[in-house]
Amino acid sequence: MRAWLLGVAAIAVLGANAACAADLEAAKKKVSEVCQACHGMDGNSQVPDYPKLAGQNQDYLAKALRDYKSGARKDPTMTGFAATLTPQDIDNLAAYFSSQPAVLQSRM
Amino acid sequence: MTRLKTLAACVAALAVSSPAFGQPGATGNAEVGSQKVQMCQGCHGIPGWRTAYPEVYRVPKIAGQHQAYLVKALQEYKSGARTHPSMRAIASSLSDSDMANIAAYYAQLGLRVAQ
Repeated sequence: MRAWLLGVAAIAVLGANAACAADLEAAKKKVSEVCQACHGMDGNSQVPDYPKLAGQNQDYLAKALRDYKSGARKDPTMTGFAATLTPQDIDNLAAYFSSQPAVLQSRM
Repeated sequence: MTRLKTLAACVAALAVSSPAFGQPGATGNAEVGSQKVQMCQGCHGIPGWRTAYPEVYRVPKIAGQHQAYLVKALQEYKSGARTHPSMRAIASSLSDSDMANIAAYYAQLGLRVAQ
């Protein structure tokens, strides 16, 4: 009985992890459709007005997208794009860009 | 006469060295900016540092970021378009040329580290 319960608990935990994990392939598709024109496919933007996202902190990227979506942060371009993103899209994109190699440094 | 020659040499040296400091204002002067980043280092100089308020997340990496974008971010904090309390307080104390200089400093800093 106890083993059975443990099994159910393990499956529940694994399932929850899988559901929460970022889907980098889905992010890549989204990036190629939406983000790459300004930020580059790998997040190393070549345009001075648009930030480099590659290697940026994952939770900061997610917060920025959530803020654009909620209207807490305003930008004519980003507000429109962020409005179309689901919370899962935001997690995927933040994980994707933070995992790209970049010149950004956290130490001065 | 020797003193006059020394003075002339100093003036000449100053005239030659000044362009090395770059133009203040829109283009930004990284050298001058480096003198102004004491208030930035407490958060942006510590790897993995997290904000304590109003939301807990790691502060953005800014070394190597585009200069134009960094200036825009500082201007938006100053105007209130972006709302982070600490950044609003700091940005409101900065002039346009301070922003350009600080942005120039951080933009070149990342490139220098990456090379």
